[in-house]
Amino acid sequence: MAKEVIVYGADWCPSCKRLIEKLNTEGIAFEYRDVEQAEIGNEHLGIAGNNIPEGKRGIPTIVVDGEMQVYPDDEWLKSRLDFTSDQTPDTKVHDVVMVGAGPASLAAAIYTTREDLDTVLYEKGVVGGLASITDWVDNYPGYPDGISGMDLGENLRKQAERFGAQIELGEVTGIKTADGLVELETTDGPVKAKAALVATGSDYKRLGVPGEDDYYARGVHFCATCDGAFYRDKRLVVVGGGNSAVQEAMFLTKFATKIDMLVRGDKMRASEVLQHDLEKFKDKITVHFNTSTDEIVGDGKLVTGVKGTKNGKQELFETDGVFVFIGLKPNTGFLAGTSVELDDIGLIKTNDKLETAIPGVFAAGDVRSGATMQIASAIGEGATAALRIREYLEELAR
Amino acid sequence: MAKNITIFTTNTCAYCGMVKKWLSAKGMNYEEVNLDEQPDRQKEAFEMSGSLTVPVTVITKHDDTREVVVGYNLAKLAPAVA
Repeated sequence: MAKEVIVYGADWCPSCKRLIEKLNTEGIAFEYRDVEQAEIGNEHLGIAGNNIPEGKRGIPTIVVDGEMQVYPDDEWLKSRLDFTSDQTPDTKVHDVVMVGAGPASLAAAIYTTREDLDTVLYEKGVVGGLASITDWVDNYPGYPDGISGMDLGENLRKQAERFGAQIELGEVTGIKTADGLVELETTDGPVKAKAALVATGSDYKRLGVPGEDDYYARGVHFCATCDGAFYRDKRLVVVGGGNSAVQEAMFLTKFATKIDMLVRGDKMRASEVLQHDLEKFKDKITVHFNTSTDEIVGDGKLVTGVKGTKNGKQELFETDGVFVFIGLKPNTGFLAGTSVELDDIGLIKTNDKLETAIPGVFAAGDVRSGATMQIASAIGEGATAALRIREYLEELAR
Repeated sequence: MAKNITIFTTNTCAYCGMVKKWLSAKGMNYEEVNLDEQPDRQKEAFEMSGSLTVPVTVITKHDDTREVVVGYNLAKLAPAVA
């Protein structure tokens, strides 16, 4: 006799969606109760409070013949339901899986979902990528007064999700092809797709000097919008002379009283506009050219200074914290050992269709060799990749 | 299993939004302490985490033991709230 199965969930809950898909795949009949409806919500809370061990209140909650489980895992489900297959959580073959959910992927997803291609994105960090942790974006077309990076990332996410993109918070750890499909290893298990887009972007480079790891998050930082608030009325060092360093140093003047910028070369690499803006902060920001950063020192608990070499002479810059913006490194570590070809600095090589050395695996945005590291171009590449993926899938179907 | 969850955040921290989003997707409630609005509580966040960073998520369990997760780190958050 079939078991009575009830699922409590909500439309916005991806885990609920996965559970429902799984039950459907396994042919298990169930009743769905949406906790967003006040009556059902109260019922769910009542059930959870009264019967579930440890008072767990979460969704999805499943009830099998009166036995309840919040966040049921595969093992629990298999032991109570008549699963005919030994399938992993995501058994569906998606049309496209995107690795990373920054501007390139989100733009691509807007296009693929509007083409009715089933699209899943995996993001291990922030949805919106590096753009989302950038204080302010002034050069993205369409926003005459600029836009905060966080708002831009959020807008892209909403637009992609409006058309049905599914964003999973997890990490892709490997990629290969088998039987004409792309197989990705993720922290949620294996995932299969007809095509994949790698748009993992880049991360801020580290200095690689003594003290950097020891004082990480205790005075050494790589995200001004995250950690700047801890330096109200304090003194800071910013390392770097590019766009990010200048932009984030200006942002940090909201908090810090004095900032020393240590620039390795004899001039700034930042754009003329940003250099001009920086002039307005000269009462708070002092730029030191020809200055290397040699060591970050502290009292064992927090940072107290930065040892540098300025014009060949050693100098100690006393500070409460150091923010490092010395360039980007591509997030391609997970591709080691695959057939995806990388260039000398680890960026992904593609052909003019943005396809990598693995058929069906495309790359776009900052992670692609030849990329210009701009949000606008990442979005353009995302759109191009989506159209190339559509062509690839059409070809595949023939 | 969490009895209650507190997240220390700031207005501009995108990773803080990710922790909140992740907990919401799990159907979990949390209290948010915004350090831009309550800068006097920065010391508390630092004492709990030993770090000058956000997000800091403090999970108090039913036996009143505490687990502190610094940053948006699903590998640590998931078992801490399980």
